[in-house]
Amino acid sequence: MKTWKRFAHVNAKTIDEASSILRGGKAALISGGTDLLGTMRFEILPDYPEVLVNLKTVPGLDYVKEEGGMLRIGALTRLEDIVRNDTIRNKYAALAEAAHRTATPHIREMGTLAGNICQFNRCWYFRNPDNRFNCIRKGGKQCFAMMGDNRYHSIFGAVKMCLAVNPSDTAPALVALNAKIKTNKRLIEAEQFWEMTVPGSTVLAADEIVTEIQIPTPGAGVKSAFIKFAIRKSIDFPIVNCAAMVGGGQARVCLNAVYNKPYRATAAEEAIKGKAINEDNADAAGAAAVAAAKALPGDRNKWKIPIAKTMVKRAILACA
Amino acid sequence: MIPELGERGKMSDEKEKKEQQEGKEGFHISRRDFLKDAGLVVGAPTLGSISATAEAATQAGKGAAGTKETPAPSATPGPELTTIELTVNGGKYRYAVEPHWSLRQLLRDHVGYTSPKDWCGGQGACGSCTVIMNGRAVLSCMTLACECDGAKIETAEGIAKAKHPIIQAYINNNAFQCGYCTPGFVCTAKALLDKNSTPTEADVRDALGGNLCRCATYQRHPPAVLEAARNLKPGA
Repeated sequence: MKTWKRFAHVNAKTIDEASSILRGGKAALISGGTDLLGTMRFEILPDYPEVLVNLKTVPGLDYVKEEGGMLRIGALTRLEDIVRNDTIRNKYAALAEAAHRTATPHIREMGTLAGNICQFNRCWYFRNPDNRFNCIRKGGKQCFAMMGDNRYHSIFGAVKMCLAVNPSDTAPALVALNAKIKTNKRLIEAEQFWEMTVPGSTVLAADEIVTEIQIPTPGAGVKSAFIKFAIRKSIDFPIVNCAAMVGGGQARVCLNAVYNKPYRATAAEEAIKGKAINEDNADAAGAAAVAAAKALPGDRNKWKIPIAKTMVKRAILACA
Repeated sequence: MIPELGERGKMSDEKEKKEQQEGKEGFHISRRDFLKDAGLVVGAPTLGSISATAEAATQAGKGAAGTKETPAPSATPGPELTTIELTVNGGKYRYAVEPHWSLRQLLRDHVGYTSPKDWCGGQGACGSCTVIMNGRAVLSCMTLACECDGAKIETAEGIAKAKHPIIQAYINNNAFQCGYCTPGFVCTAKALLDKNSTPTEADVRDALGGNLCRCATYQRHPPAVLEAARNLKPGA
């Protein structure tokens, strides 16, 4: 087994301490570590962190509370604890199901919700070991997927030339549930949280740390659901996933693994808003969601478009 | 391939001699202890388990050499070595660990429990290195040893020593072929039974979803875990 190159390790006692070390540069934050340690072991990124700041030693960040009309989830809450939480399963079904379909039970026992939404994007050129493909995402000059094998890549076009997709399962659930992400500096709407950076996938500043995820309690008659399409039932990253929250004259639909960041399907929302949830309406919403989708030259990822359409349809039907 | 067969032959000769030597007092040596010795004698190990031992030995050597080196001056904060105390299978241990050691490395090379295996090369994709840490089935290859201060860890050895019904249930159901992935399965199943002593078959399949078995013995695991659940004594 490949061992890690050397790095220093600091157990942070407070968020401020962790943030100040991150500000020093060449540092990375570790909570569950299941994404970070993999990228480090295989030296995927050109820059190797000199110091890891352990967030797990900061007390009081592991909680699930429902108060003041919202659900508050601490940044260090493990995905498996979200799966087992009855409140989340009953009222925030999309999030519970998304957490349940993430990776494997072991990774869910280790990985945190905040870590899941902050993970690096997925593309087999970007993730190739030893930085073999120094792509645009790593400060290089080109996207290797553009001319290469892009069967799992974006169907809604590139962002700053990058075709990698966001692989998070919980991210679309949080967008559909209209969540807010609280950091040590600000409160960010879930929809505004992701952005293509080099090499990251979020709008977070270098010394910014997610501390809490807030989800407004859905009103009566509002239901949410999450559907995932993957090759295998366990372990796999999504080919396409979709979360929806429908009811009370409102609709929010979000796809993921189809674009650089979670893709809110506003066209599908308009198509289903205020209408009865039935086969025909859901089908129309699915068609609307992928109306703007376009396969990459060579049509290698064309197969993802009908899957995305069906995921939207099934997610909406599951909200009935 | 031929030299490999040759090495194997040589080792089986060694084993026979050793068995003869031990014969009078009764044969107490375990297969693993023997292989460790054989690995040193042969010098060019080819079998999987010997390779693991040899790898462990080299890594231990590296670790020792690393600690003797004068640490390179670094502008980054944090100590080079962290002292951690942890409980493994009921025994208390204290180690000075380097930041880049994995828990799996610590358990195998230093504590001496070799049940956390490596299959996927540290990607967190196979579940072979599973141990139970503070009641959670976690991947020891993706856990930093220096973050395990105060942790309570159980490996498959500990589960077997405690005579947990999962072991006999696995034997009764032949829920393995080559056995390489079995410690990971056993740890995952035990963690499930600790949380839920009356699981359904769906629960078992869900919980074992992160363990891969190259021999494809998958169908035998749910009956084994369900049998173990039935045989669990209250409070065990």
